[in-house]
Amino acid sequence: MSSPFDQVIITETGEQLDESELSLLETLDHVLNRGLVIAGEITISVADIDLIFLGLNVLLSSVETAHDVLRRHEANGE
Amino acid sequence: MKLYAYCLIEGIDSLPVPLKGVSGANVRLLKVGTFSLLVSDFPGDAVPVNRDNALAHAATVGSFLDQTTPLPFRFGTLVTEKQLESFVTARRDALQAKLDLVRGCVEMSVKIIQTANENGDPPAKAEAPEKPGTAFLAEKRREILNKESRAVEAKKIAGWLEDRLAEVVRETRINANPTEKLLLAAAHLVERSCVEQYRETLKELRLERPELHFLFSGPWAPYSFANIDLEFQFGVS
Repeated sequence: MSSPFDQVIITETGEQLDESELSLLETLDHVLNRGLVIAGEITISVADIDLIFLGLNVLLSSVETAHDVLRRHEANGE
Repeated sequence: MKLYAYCLIEGIDSLPVPLKGVSGANVRLLKVGTFSLLVSDFPGDAVPVNRDNALAHAATVGSFLDQTTPLPFRFGTLVTEKQLESFVTARRDALQAKLDLVRGCVEMSVKIIQTANENGDPPAKAEAPEKPGTAFLAEKRREILNKESRAVEAKKIAGWLEDRLAEVVRETRINANPTEKLLLAAAHLVERSCVEQYRETLKELRLERPELHFLFSGPWAPYSFANIDLEFQFGVS
């Protein structure tokens, strides 16, 4: 690892994954599900959300996050 | 035109290089009182959730992570400049407290994956053929028992993880409500100087529990430690 601040994802086999779908899932998990919220000002279009399911066998929380986001938007009538 | 808000940031007075944010817009620094925020103009009313936008959000928020710790907004935060000023002014003390909490730290993420049939429980016994109603209830019972045993296992593992990482972690957020495959997810606030020690400790933990599948990632901006309004908006504590 060149720098302790390069972002890396390490699986149970010790393999480092960069720029992979898994990396994308982790990114989505962070940016969609967490972070500072200004009440009522999260405005997203979920039309493209299927990208989260791209070719992955692992069901990580990102997938659940996507469902949560959809449910929230449905509940809000958006 | 609305502003797309990425993060609050301290110790940065100008952008040394141009940054492209969501939808390719130029990122700029906006001063509100004593706070600086990274924002860009956004022409529409809703931000499409797609790969480019998600990565642009994460990259912008993380652009100064090696120098300072930002307080990230959640993806899709669209506001007018007036709304943003009003929010920052009204929440000044809470935002400052959050910045104080995360200063000098990064977020590290751990997910532990164990599918329901990997947890060492014996397989369901082959029994005499059941009536459909009985079979349904028996299956439901197995599901409930399995869920309960996974919840207990998740709590045990969460405790083990917390004990072993206590020295290198400033604060923890754990979700120990298992799903079919994900046993638990933890976010750790780790001082920059402790990141390598944190990674080494996780490697040791992985060797200790080879039956568990670990996925760890980071460093991230402290997404899991940023929010001050979540409990009011979504009823989450």
